[in-house]
Amino acid sequence: MVYFRIVSQYLAVFAVALTLNFALPRIAPGDPLNYMLTEDVLANMTAAQEAEVLREFGLDKPLLVQFTAYVTGVFRGDLGTSVRFGEPVSEIVLARLPWTLLLMGWALALSAAIGTALGILAAWWRGGRFDLSSLVVVLFIGSAPVFWVAMLLITLLSAELGWLPSFGAAPLGAIPGSGEYILGVAERLIMPVTALAIVQTASILLTARSAMSIALGQDYITFARAKGVPEHQVFFRHAFRNALLPIYTNVMIGIGNLVGGALVIETVFSYPGIGTLILEGVEARDYNLLQGVFVLATLGVVLANLIADLGYPLLDPRVRRT
Amino acid sequence: MSDAAASAPIRRFLAPPDTVAGRVQRAGLVVIGVMGTAVLIGPFLSPYEATEHICTPFQTPNTAHPLGCNDVGQDLLTGILVGGRISLSIGIVTALLTTIVATLVAVVAAYRGGLVDQIAMRVVDVVMSLPFLPLVIVLGAFFGASLPVQVLVITLVMWAHPVRELRSQALSLRAAEYVEAARAMGASGWRVTTRHILPELTPLIAPQFIRVAHNAILIESSLSFLGLGDPIRKSWGAILFHANARTAFLTDAWVWWVLPPGLAIALSVVAFALIGYGVGDGEDASKRAQPTADGMEPAEAPDAPEAKLAIRELTIDYDTSPGHFRAVQGASLNLAEGETLGLVGESGSGKSTLAMAVLGLLAPSARVTGGRIMLGDSSLLTLTPNAFSRLRGKRIALIPQSAMNALNPVMTIGRQLIEAVRLHQNPSPAAARQRAVELLEMVDLPPGRMGAYPHELSGGMRQRTVIAIALANQPDVLIADEPTTGLDVLVQAGIMELLSDLQRRLGVTILFVTHDLPLIAHAADRLAIMQDGEIVETGEPEALANFADHPHTRALFASTPSIHAPKMWTRPTIAPSVPPLLDLVDVSLTFNKGLTAKLRNARPVIAVSGLSLQIRPGEVVGLVGGSGSGKTTAARVALGRYTPDAGQVLFMGREVSADRRRPIHMVFQDPYQSLRPRMRVGDIVAEPLRIHGIRDTANRIRDALAAVRLPSDESFLSRRAASLSGGQRQRVAFARAIVTDPKLILADEPTSMLDQSIRMDVLKLMESLRLERHVAFLFITHDIVMARHFCDRLMVMQSGVVVEEGEADQVALQPKHPYTQALIAAVENMSAPPQVELKPEAAE
Repeated sequence: MVYFRIVSQYLAVFAVALTLNFALPRIAPGDPLNYMLTEDVLANMTAAQEAEVLREFGLDKPLLVQFTAYVTGVFRGDLGTSVRFGEPVSEIVLARLPWTLLLMGWALALSAAIGTALGILAAWWRGGRFDLSSLVVVLFIGSAPVFWVAMLLITLLSAELGWLPSFGAAPLGAIPGSGEYILGVAERLIMPVTALAIVQTASILLTARSAMSIALGQDYITFARAKGVPEHQVFFRHAFRNALLPIYTNVMIGIGNLVGGALVIETVFSYPGIGTLILEGVEARDYNLLQGVFVLATLGVVLANLIADLGYPLLDPRVRRT
Repeated sequence: MSDAAASAPIRRFLAPPDTVAGRVQRAGLVVIGVMGTAVLIGPFLSPYEATEHICTPFQTPNTAHPLGCNDVGQDLLTGILVGGRISLSIGIVTALLTTIVATLVAVVAAYRGGLVDQIAMRVVDVVMSLPFLPLVIVLGAFFGASLPVQVLVITLVMWAHPVRELRSQALSLRAAEYVEAARAMGASGWRVTTRHILPELTPLIAPQFIRVAHNAILIESSLSFLGLGDPIRKSWGAILFHANARTAFLTDAWVWWVLPPGLAIALSVVAFALIGYGVGDGEDASKRAQPTADGMEPAEAPDAPEAKLAIRELTIDYDTSPGHFRAVQGASLNLAEGETLGLVGESGSGKSTLAMAVLGLLAPSARVTGGRIMLGDSSLLTLTPNAFSRLRGKRIALIPQSAMNALNPVMTIGRQLIEAVRLHQNPSPAAARQRAVELLEMVDLPPGRMGAYPHELSGGMRQRTVIAIALANQPDVLIADEPTTGLDVLVQAGIMELLSDLQRRLGVTILFVTHDLPLIAHAADRLAIMQDGEIVETGEPEALANFADHPHTRALFASTPSIHAPKMWTRPTIAPSVPPLLDLVDVSLTFNKGLTAKLRNARPVIAVSGLSLQIRPGEVVGLVGGSGSGKTTAARVALGRYTPDAGQVLFMGREVSADRRRPIHMVFQDPYQSLRPRMRVGDIVAEPLRIHGIRDTANRIRDALAAVRLPSDESFLSRRAASLSGGQRQRVAFARAIVTDPKLILADEPTSMLDQSIRMDVLKLMESLRLERHVAFLFITHDIVMARHFCDRLMVMQSGVVVEEGEADQVALQPKHPYTQALIAAVENMSAPPQVELKPEAAE
């Protein structure tokens, strides 16, 4: 029953995303054709040609038929054709996806590990110097726009010091798989991952710290102390185990933010992932491409949430079903 | 003093300026104020237009252009000032819109409940699961880049985020007793929402606004950075977009071009974060205080060498701002080996503070400022934290106040038992496990429950587990701090029996801390009565009951009559021919049977089944039962708050419908919750009149307050509920109930949240209202002793069914139904010892 609800929830999310995608070109100002063809093509079309194009795209059929066609198309992997690249959207996106995933995966792992560790240290020394200084630093860093942090990193590490390349994801001319290639990829990952992770770490640190503080105020902590549990065990065994739940939730919610952050940060580094693709789509007014990316991003976030939900019972016996 | 300590804090958005949170919040306000002023006035003072090309491209800073110029010769400082207007106004306008939408959705969902709520929350979940930046980009791309579009698009993706929190707050407000009270007075949904829910919700809306503004500024800058901002009116994000597009950081201009807009964004976002600082955090940030050694006198020989636990002249202060508050004042106690000492006191008397000091587990703000605590011949207050920790659980153990929450929710009870064993002994894993099983058996729990998590156990079973853990290492002294509070009467009796049985078998010394005199008077060897931080009297229960010196002790015993004592209130019987005021005919009500319950996977609950009940004018009827027996639901049905599935509810022969002016009023259990803390006494008492459209209220308010023996001068009328004591509050609640001259008042446990010594006063007040105003009462209670003394007739409810009814003395003294018999047996085991002048009747 619980799983039924979770799954139906995500199906609903996906359905909304598809409906939005279908509706947007039809309710946005102007003709839907505006959103499917480029302006110069449109300007030179005759009325007969237009009607033919409408028929070709199925735009003359009733809305319900169009919608069914669209949805079945999506499930077959057909997200339309990119005007900018002249290729199927799904293929373009899939080609770019690994780079974005690489970026996000590292940023997620790093920010989760570092944020949790620092947050717990802040809670251990709560009220102390480390706690206060980390709060100040984190509040400021967490408030900075991620792309700005990235620009500063480039200025410092590339322009001024010349330590790291600031462009692309892989060295040009290197054979994929070779040592030179892998080193090049790693070099080019450092800055974008750092910028992403720095901003994300701030929110995880704050969550970890407050989750620990809340857990430490619970009655079972007093009782554990009354049992004679030494303070470090109270902290790490009893409090941390309970604080893990909100931390985990926050890390998982952070995936949604990371998607956004990754998209923006790629444009700073001209990193060949989905984000740069979006920017190219925006510049070329390639609506098919943007919509396709949106559908896939939704799918990705839904999958991440699903995995998160499946992970809960491992951490919290209260949501386990017997 | 005790009442002030227990009163609900009034929530405000801004913390007081002398606290850390208050200072941080004000710093945020100052930063955002300065930035707001700068971007408002700055562009007027600047000699240039932001779009003017007035200098050489990449001009370095000089006096004319303090930040230099960009690639097309526009003044960068002017650009930032103008951009700030865009960024900040988008942030604020979006936050306003979003907060309004979210509040509306949250309040409607919470108030309507049921299907509306379910649907609203599903929609919220869906919107929150959409990846918002890609969505914003797609929407922005389709609808064009302009400021209104940006505002709308960000609102569209953000509105769902605050709904969750606001709704859960609105839900708890809707369930608040003062809202329930207003509903009971006949207030409409609209009135309740606008007069009670929204005003209380406002302090919670503000942080949501701040949070959205914080996020909106960041999202806007991301959008503009991707080139989706308004191309003419450039925000901070858009300035960075241009800087990035021109690869400004490869020239020297980056310092002036890239740093300032990013700093401006970060600063304004930080400012919003600071304003929202500490809201909802609400925990104190300091470590547990260790007992300090100051004020320790050189050890003199303990006066009672055989004492297991000796407390000498113990004084404990709480640091409060300003000054400090003395919780315990020169308290001395001796516990002999194997003795059970009952430490009895009302809320705020310092009894729990004293107990926690013995365990070395005082709250961080508490300090021992004098005295000694001796366990055998070791002085506890001079121990190092580590030494104290090794001693806890081994020589002194605790059965804590809230057994429901004392077990770690993510560990099986087996692991928690084994942990307790292994902390102080060094057994093999198998031996530790064996010992844990024995401990479970000792408290009558099946060993099969070793693998159970706390949430899988009932309250009584959890309390038994906690006792098993406390006794795991055969401690010398056991501190039991209100160990049965909050448990059902029968469960309570079982726990008490278990404790005294274990005490007999193990010979442990028990310090039993409680507010419940009858509960402990039977079980304790000696009692110590505590009031305002001082131990006012010590002695054997029988002696105290009969020859107490201290007025407080006498008041405590006087307020807890025995079940067998002569009935305290006897009234002339009312002829059965008198038509009843209230007539419930075969009423049944089942919860969780609709569609939404199915969606929530909730099982139907039969709350009341086949209930018939009559109350005649001037009569006092007691409805007695444990938690979940359906007695409160029955009252709400009588009030017309719930419509029964079957049966009739007649008031003076006419059907009670949900919307009629009600000649019935209700008084609730907890006067701290049934009166909104921020309301003034005058408005509280006037509310029923206003609900019924009566304008001229002054005289009636005065009469009602006089009837409950409260002053009715201007200064009292303008006092807020938060500043009243518990007893005063309950009197105000009664004044509110009688102001419309009802013929019947439903009193739902009106004394159970009050301190023992003022319970009798409330019952006396009810009797005077009955005599002076001819009010009949339905007295709902779990306390069969009080019910027997106060009521004319009793009805005993169990699981929604009346199992026994009749004259009060007949039901209480010759119970027929097993459930009633069990209730009586439970209180017989824990009733105060007989007072000499009262001749106890023989139990049958």
